[in-house]
Amino acid sequence: MADSDEEYVGDVTEDEDDLQVTRGDNPRAKRKQRGGAEWELSRTWETLVEGADGTINSTVEGLLEAGKRKRLLKDTTPLQRGIIRHLILILDLSQSMSEKDLRPTRYLLTLRYAQEFVREFFEQNPISQLGVLGLRDGLALRVSDMSGNPTEHLTAIQALKTQDPKGLPSLQNGLEMARGALFHTPSHGTREVLFIYGSLLSSDPGDIHQTIDTLISDKIRVGIVGLAAQVAICRELCTRTNGGDETAYGVALNEQHFRELMMDVTTPPAAYSQKESSSSLLMMGFPSRTVESNPSLCACHSKPSRGGYLCSRCNSKVCNLPAECPSCGLTLILSTHLARSYHHLFPLINWVEVPWRRASRSSACFACGLSFPSVPLEDHWQMAENNTKGMSVSSRYECTACRNHFCIDCDLFAHEVVHNCPGCQSKSTPTRSDVANPPSGGMDITV
Amino acid sequence: MNSVDASEHYELGATDLPPSLLTIVIDTNPHAWALLEDSLPLSKAIANILVFINAHLACNYANEVAVVASHTQKAAWLYPSHNAPRNRSDHEGDVVMNGATDTTTPETNKYRPFRLVEEQVTRNLKEIMDSTTADDLRGNMSTMLAGALTLALSHTNRRTLAWAEEHGGANTEDAAAEGNGNGSTATNRYSASNEDERLQSRILVVSVSGSIDAAHQYIPVMNSIFACQRLSIPIDVCKLSGDAVFLQQASDATKGVYMALAEPRGLLQYLMMAFLPDQRSRRHLVLPTRVDVDFRAACFCHRRVVDVGFVCSICLSIFCEPPPGSDCMTCGTHLDIGDNAKPALLPRRKKKKKRVNGASGTGTPMSTPTPGP
Amino acid sequence: MASATSRPLEYLEGLPGTTFYKLYQQPSTALAIFRRMLPDLAKCFVMALLYLKDPLPTADLEVWVNSESKKERDNALSILGRLHILSTTLTSENVRAYMVTNPFAASLRQALMGAEDSHSFGVFSQAPEHNLISIADLDEYARRQWEGVMGYMVGTSALSGQRDAVNLSKGVKQLLQAGHLVEIRGNRVDITKDGFGFVLQDVNTQVWHILILYVESAEAIGMDSVEVLSFLFLLSSLELGSSYDKSHMTPNQLRTLTDLADFGIVYQEDPDATRFYPTRLATTLTSDSSALSNPVTGSLTGPAGPSGGAGSGFIIIETNYRLYAYTSSPLQISLISLFTNLKYRFPNLVTGKITRQSVRRAIEMGITADQIISYLLSHAHPQLRKHSAAQSSGKGVPASVLPPTVTDQIRLWQLERDRLRATAGFLFKDFTSLTEYQAPCQYAAEIGVLVWKSDRKRMFFVTRHEQVAAFLRSQKVGGK
Repeated sequence: MADSDEEYVGDVTEDEDDLQVTRGDNPRAKRKQRGGAEWELSRTWETLVEGADGTINSTVEGLLEAGKRKRLLKDTTPLQRGIIRHLILILDLSQSMSEKDLRPTRYLLTLRYAQEFVREFFEQNPISQLGVLGLRDGLALRVSDMSGNPTEHLTAIQALKTQDPKGLPSLQNGLEMARGALFHTPSHGTREVLFIYGSLLSSDPGDIHQTIDTLISDKIRVGIVGLAAQVAICRELCTRTNGGDETAYGVALNEQHFRELMMDVTTPPAAYSQKESSSSLLMMGFPSRTVESNPSLCACHSKPSRGGYLCSRCNSKVCNLPAECPSCGLTLILSTHLARSYHHLFPLINWVEVPWRRASRSSACFACGLSFPSVPLEDHWQMAENNTKGMSVSSRYECTACRNHFCIDCDLFAHEVVHNCPGCQSKSTPTRSDVANPPSGGMDITV
Repeated sequence: MNSVDASEHYELGATDLPPSLLTIVIDTNPHAWALLEDSLPLSKAIANILVFINAHLACNYANEVAVVASHTQKAAWLYPSHNAPRNRSDHEGDVVMNGATDTTTPETNKYRPFRLVEEQVTRNLKEIMDSTTADDLRGNMSTMLAGALTLALSHTNRRTLAWAEEHGGANTEDAAAEGNGNGSTATNRYSASNEDERLQSRILVVSVSGSIDAAHQYIPVMNSIFACQRLSIPIDVCKLSGDAVFLQQASDATKGVYMALAEPRGLLQYLMMAFLPDQRSRRHLVLPTRVDVDFRAACFCHRRVVDVGFVCSICLSIFCEPPPGSDCMTCGTHLDIGDNAKPALLPRRKKKKKRVNGASGTGTPMSTPTPGP
Repeated sequence: MASATSRPLEYLEGLPGTTFYKLYQQPSTALAIFRRMLPDLAKCFVMALLYLKDPLPTADLEVWVNSESKKERDNALSILGRLHILSTTLTSENVRAYMVTNPFAASLRQALMGAEDSHSFGVFSQAPEHNLISIADLDEYARRQWEGVMGYMVGTSALSGQRDAVNLSKGVKQLLQAGHLVEIRGNRVDITKDGFGFVLQDVNTQVWHILILYVESAEAIGMDSVEVLSFLFLLSSLELGSSYDKSHMTPNQLRTLTDLADFGIVYQEDPDATRFYPTRLATTLTSDSSALSNPVTGSLTGPAGPSGGAGSGFIIIETNYRLYAYTSSPLQISLISLFTNLKYRFPNLVTGKITRQSVRRAIEMGITADQIISYLLSHAHPQLRKHSAAQSSGKGVPASVLPPTVTDQIRLWQLERDRLRATAGFLFKDFTSLTEYQAPCQYAAEIGVLVWKSDRKRMFFVTRHEQVAAFLRSQKVGGK
């Protein structure tokens, strides 16, 4: 499907849907992708119901709202997650990346998303390490080394933009190099590889199955985002390294979906079994910032600077956190970095839709004051109910802990950005605020 | 003679700059204000803050303001009063929403928008103070900072969306794309659009309470701070008494202004000088920030402030020494060696359950199965 | 915004210091000037100094500003100086220091804090309202009146019968004539070059233009220009949709009110009514052009009639110079036809093409390329804006709303004819040494008045000389 135009892609996806239905496996992917598939497959015009006023405004608004809401209904069971991650991002830089089926080209789009990915990755996983590799001319080349500093990766990826993709990619070479980079990482962190793979083949020097076996024994998980079509070896690679779970392999349908697939990886993966990642106690330093009257050299880059952080064990100066002390090897971190990961561990509970029956309790969103549609007469309830799944008929969403009602935008905002419930946080009964961010066992911390 | 050169692509429209939204969080803990009674009573502080609000509104026709009270028992809006209709009868509530207060005699010596803000803030504040009972206050030195920040953020979010919609910004485009069911992640929507073309929002926290009691709010406060950081909303902190570590961290993380006032009486001047400039002007100004922010952590076990600590790799709890029996005191995980006292919640189990539910679902275009092996 | 602010700013700057003294007596004037005329940084300076007891030493202020933003700082200080808001004094320790001048400082403080009964912000009408005027009515009235004025100038009133409703008073016609926007030859109204420029501007700029003409002509008919001016600023601080009492007003103010009603800036049922309503044209006087919210510009510029309130813009331009305008307003069509070859006309749409010929024709009439472009820009269809916003979101730079090829070409077409531009100003020359020349030259560039310089001839040309001269003087003092 090298020269596919957009229409063609559309056709293919429908076929795929049928295949998927008959196979009936892969439930997680199904849940996540259902909206996208329906959009393509379902007869959207049939869901349009004329409202009482003879227009379809209400239905269209409903569909928009349902779209927003869909992504929200994620699982909020507090899982153990691999907060400390080691991830190698491998970019396909081979000829197939010059295709223009993703605008402007696969290559440029991939680089752009890769930069966003790096930023988001460190946003979500501040104490993790990332490295970037490229596949070109049958070789794996190092784009940037494993480090916890996003700017290094960003500049390295930016530099790629001036080059052109060429040659064939080699999965095996990429994996071997990634394995080498991940080999020394401590066992308490995860070891992950993420491929952005635009080719339909891999030209390898040896037997890739052997490489896969070593990956499994090294507990390295591989995820792949394909840009063209599903490739058998990619699927096998993902399935086997993820303990039979196939969802780590996704093929992008369009630009949006591509981005979505990549960004999904930024969420820390659930820790599988204890065997895979042994938990341990890490020694970390919490340095304070100092400003000196005269500039001095920092230990990490040997550049003169006045501000910096002094390693709490050996007093070397580093200019950025998080970092590993260059002289004594202690992990230096800000307590805020740790706090940044807490929302993964204690997610905000999902809010529930409010039927008309209970809607009269509120007339405006608790958080932003947007007024809700008023409650119609009882006979009209039924008609409005069968609109769209996943959305609230009354446009209200209720936090089950504090029983306040919110609008869809605040719902999205609370769950995706703030991770706080405005209602629960605004009332002081401590039991309630605990419910909002569930098990707060020993989490009352002074910092 | 550059001025005659037509090759420059200059845009007239590009100079129209968006207004700014200032959200003020006022800590209204009566205990803390009582301590300040001699130097700066609450009423005087509010008067100063109102002048400051007016100054902000005066800077641009379209500038907006919002005020949240962070009280001992709750966080509540002072302006605009969203929730008023719920507490009163509907009719009365509507009147308040419109801001048309028929009862007061029309006073015209004040610019009208200024007066509206003033009336609402003072009335709502009085309501809060009146509703506070002695019981609420007993031994309660804390303030609902997390709630106030979350409310402020929700309001900011709403106004940003509304503003972008009115002005046909890129944000609406994103929102529409999301509606199509293949939404991007939230970050795209909240941070991708050009920063200069958005509503410029910032949050000012006028704080009087100490930090000790805010400890149980640590996670929510931190969550709010990170949200601000992500949306590039600076949190300015004006500290009248006490010192709160996480407010220091908040202003540091969001590149806001942090000032602990040596002389609370001069509040107005401090506000005017340091806190009035919006983000655009701040680029040109040297503003007071704290250089020596305290980033040290306190351990969970003995609350000792530590330089070097031990962190559980599962739940990120901090300990000053390896916990007894090598079991994490927060999540119970056995650390470092040996078997685990408590098994991790396995995602596999959850998966099986879903498979049952999901089997009948529609297909997914995510993976492209080749009919092969 | 540059074009929108500059006109009132220029006018104000031309006033003598005593006029400012009188103007700043009113809190509403101080507030309006503060809000409308000052750049961001200048606002910060004023606010920071407003409540200071002692003047702020210049050195302190310089430390406050980032070293990279020297240019912005000097520009802000220069505007403040020109508007007589900031002055320098010597402190007790003989240090040069800035302070906010007094009537302005006092008035602005009053505006912010509220004060004794100055009635600076109007007095609400207490009389019971028997005949409620809604905001929509006001908008409609403003639109009708303002379009009437425009129509009179362009001459569409003769073409279409629907304009009969608007009867322009003699005063309006005289004012337009006095401002050289139209010429009346016998019975015929001919629009002048200035007039063409005027009709193509956005509404906010037009209103200011007219008002300044009005103030200028006020002296001639025996009114105090300061009084008129401060009344205008008062109007700008009133609230849309409320009625105000006229009983507190001076005869001159009442007279002004009647004249402004002809333009649609205020509304009164009849000249003897006891109350008046400001329209959106008045209340948005001191906002940025962008904040002049869409209802007015939309209804003013968009398709005529109450149904035309949707969106602010109606013109779509393609890169192939084709132009589509969704309007049925004869005024707008005749404006567009000034620089476009119109091809087809449908009930709510006209299409045409911008050609070299049509643009040259417009330029010969005295319209400049910048005017055409700013007209197109301010009426660009939301779709165009959305498109450019979408384009720019990926990159850092904002994409232009209009296709760059079209704007560049229009400018080039103008250049074909127009190779000279005159700038009034002052030439500094005969510097004895290069260093002596460089310092004031650099200073002039920093405060943004430098137009041209020649290092070889040691000459430079500036638009205004006061500060450069002051700078030279201070240099001399410093040198000795």
